[in-house]
Amino acid sequence: MNMERKKPDLQQEALKNHPFGVPEGYFDSFPDRLQKRIREEESSSVPVRKIGKTTRILAMAAAVMAAALITTSIIRFISNSDAGGLYPDLALLEQMQVFDDDRYLYDMMEESAPLDEDEAFASQAIEYLAINDVEMDLIFE
Amino acid sequence: MPEWNDREIIQGFKTPGNEERAFNHLVTCYQKRLYWHIRKMVIVHDDADDVLQNTMIKVWKSLAGFRAESGLYTWLYRIATNEALSFLKQKKKKAFSPWVDMDAQMSQNLVADPWFTGDEIQLKLQQAILKLPDKQRIVFNMKYFDHMKYGEMSEILGTSVGALKASYHHAVKKIETLLEDD
Repeated sequence: MNMERKKPDLQQEALKNHPFGVPEGYFDSFPDRLQKRIREEESSSVPVRKIGKTTRILAMAAAVMAAALITTSIIRFISNSDAGGLYPDLALLEQMQVFDDDRYLYDMMEESAPLDEDEAFASQAIEYLAINDVEMDLIFE
Repeated sequence: MPEWNDREIIQGFKTPGNEERAFNHLVTCYQKRLYWHIRKMVIVHDDADDVLQNTMIKVWKSLAGFRAESGLYTWLYRIATNEALSFLKQKKKKAFSPWVDMDAQMSQNLVADPWFTGDEIQLKLQQAILKLPDKQRIVFNMKYFDHMKYGEMSEILGTSVGALKASYHHAVKKIETLLEDD
């Protein structure tokens, strides 16, 4: 008996709708839940306390050290840029907390699964054609 | 409440005493789009809810400093993508064990999620997507489901249009192969 299994075809329009749902009223209640969480975080995040003399001296020492660290970092940053590097080294970025939000994004775009020979060749060819504005449909033929 | 455009939201947020109102407009306007983007990455509704909240809190904290060098939507999408990736990375770290296969785990979550509404074919497609590397998965989702233009994706992901086209091409080929082998 010839049993033909149903195979998904990526061109099917129905497949292009994502298959996820949410609990009823989720989006209506989200803004209020969010505001509540923001208020809770804000009220618990800034403890008010008096600063004693010793703490003040320690804080000043820490500020001087931080200033020295930042100055060194900036000098290293400038020398890295002069050397023609597109991005400063990662340790420096972490010290300065620059682009912190984008760290995961950069990591992901840098990390790529190893391509086999055919894939690597196809990648190069597609990038070349894309730079030269060749239509996507033609690229994928 | 009538919708505000991006400029009104940004200006409103910078007007003292108006921050909460402007932020509410932003949340109402963008919550769905950001949620679906996040959901496709983290799969489970409860996780997507957490990540969306974290994204919006980050936006609340940094909107005053938004310099409008990119569009508001691009900026929001970028934060959401980062939050989702950070969430997945932490989850992988927590579950780190030679006996735990994260892809298989995500695939099981998909089946167990009461808010997965797809049929058998859609389940197969999602399971194939989960086998892609993060980069190809995100590019595939943005192009295939969100119909995003490569130019927009390039701004959000900070990579060239050519590289994105190549990633999408590889993703499609891998998914087709996975579905054929299934």
